[in-house]
Amino acid sequence: MTLDAQPEPAPDPALERRRFVAKLGAAGFVAGAAGLLAALLRSVVPEVLYEPARRFPVGRPADFAPGSVTFVSERRLFVFNTPGGFYAVSAVCTHLGCNVNHEEGRGFACPCHGSTFEEDGRVRKGPAAWPLPRFAISLSRRGELVVDTRRTVGPEFRLKA
Amino acid sequence: MNRVLRSVFRTGWPATKQQRLQAMLSSLVLHVHPTRVRVHVLRPSYTLGLGLVSFFLFASLTATGLALMLYYVPHPQAAYRSMKDLEYAVTFGMFLRNSHRWAAHGMVAVVFLHLCRVFFTGSYKPPREFNWVIGVGLLLLTLALSFTGYLLPWDQLAFWAITVGTSIVAYFPLLGPQLRYLLLGGHEIGQAALLRFYVLHCVVLPLAMALLVALHLWRVRKDGGLSAPPHASQRRVTAWPHLVFRELGVLVLVLVAVNVAALLFDAPLEEIADLARTPNPAKAPWYFLGLQELVHYGAIFGGVAVPTALVIALLLLPYLDTDTRGVGVWFARERRTANALFAAVALALVVVTVIGTFFRGPNWAWVVPWAR
Repeated sequence: MTLDAQPEPAPDPALERRRFVAKLGAAGFVAGAAGLLAALLRSVVPEVLYEPARRFPVGRPADFAPGSVTFVSERRLFVFNTPGGFYAVSAVCTHLGCNVNHEEGRGFACPCHGSTFEEDGRVRKGPAAWPLPRFAISLSRRGELVVDTRRTVGPEFRLKA
Repeated sequence: MNRVLRSVFRTGWPATKQQRLQAMLSSLVLHVHPTRVRVHVLRPSYTLGLGLVSFFLFASLTATGLALMLYYVPHPQAAYRSMKDLEYAVTFGMFLRNSHRWAAHGMVAVVFLHLCRVFFTGSYKPPREFNWVIGVGLLLLTLALSFTGYLLPWDQLAFWAITVGTSIVAYFPLLGPQLRYLLLGGHEIGQAALLRFYVLHCVVLPLAMALLVALHLWRVRKDGGLSAPPHASQRRVTAWPHLVFRELGVLVLVLVAVNVAALLFDAPLEEIADLARTPNPAKAPWYFLGLQELVHYGAIFGGVAVPTALVIALLLLPYLDTDTRGVGVWFARERRTANALFAAVALALVVVTVIGTFFRGPNWAWVVPWAR
């Protein structure tokens, strides 16, 4: 208590100011360094991608025999030509990204971890948790089938061509 | 001539005890050591020299890695060709590559064994808690270095192992897909991903590793040297020659082992990476095959939950288990429960790794390795 009772020494305005300016300087340095670091980290996120387009032609309808299933290897998808029309199913296993193999009439099987899928892309047996997506397919003005892997569609989708 | 030599090595060959103590202080390399060491920690049966072996493997990997960098071009159209060049056109190129490959595999194994040694001798107890944490960081860096290096040959083995590995990253909650995008520099494994893995493998991770190794060794000194039980003999001997020449012996053994392996066995190289053709089965590097086996039962379980839990458990361990009884002795009776628990987890990891490596065939179905 006796300590508290002692009168506070009168604050030296010059010293107070100095402390304040020093704090301001330190805060400025920290803020600037944080900004630089943020800019550095942001630059690591690419804006331009030098990879294949995600919307691309796969061929003319006549290239796909009626009733056939074609593996478009460089695009990693299957094109089905059914009596009802065309549809495209991703060949990339939804588990960990290996290419699934199509087994005629028995759906798809993944070589990496043994997932199997029904003919329509639904999971028959895990570890994959999600069905193989189907991609939107359209007919371009030049008469080519164009797949858009950014747009997935439902199992009822068919393109008459 | 003698004058030049004297200007470099001021003390000359230490003959007296005083000179031996001084030798440890007057050299940059040697002064990492104490001047005198306890006899207890010098016994090979105590440490098995595993930390030292990891260090020398890292040094050897740095040397061979630098030489390989002179020929390797990190671009999808050139990477595989540089592997072929190393095999057929570069003098000792294949030998270099073999040496780098086997030392890398060896380092993963030895670092894991070192972790086991430190656990079973209770050497993570106070005051060594933080050095254990640094050690966990070094283990993760070792795995990351090995994994990033795995993609560089750009063959089928590399491509599909990294496809599986980076797909696991995408399963991490919240930021998974963004993290994978950042790691690959895009949506798929291509030119951007190869360059990123190359920079990580050759610059970022080795620098981080060197820094943490320095910190790890410095902390060994600052935490009072290697662990020893309080009742052990306090007898000390001079580090020169007792410690220094033992270390030199370990270095010779490591170099002999790596180079004999490099002479006898060739590093694998399959066909060039092909996006259209997944090999069956597609396997991750062997040290991740335990995880791949777990991933077979569920991607989130094996790829995220188990490894995250293991790392968190390792990081928290020295702060939860602080009882200092039984430190400095292998399999101390006072630590029976902790040792049994750790052994069970380590053994489980080894078992799933062996299953993933030898007992899984096409479509990840069961096979018996001796039936082929």
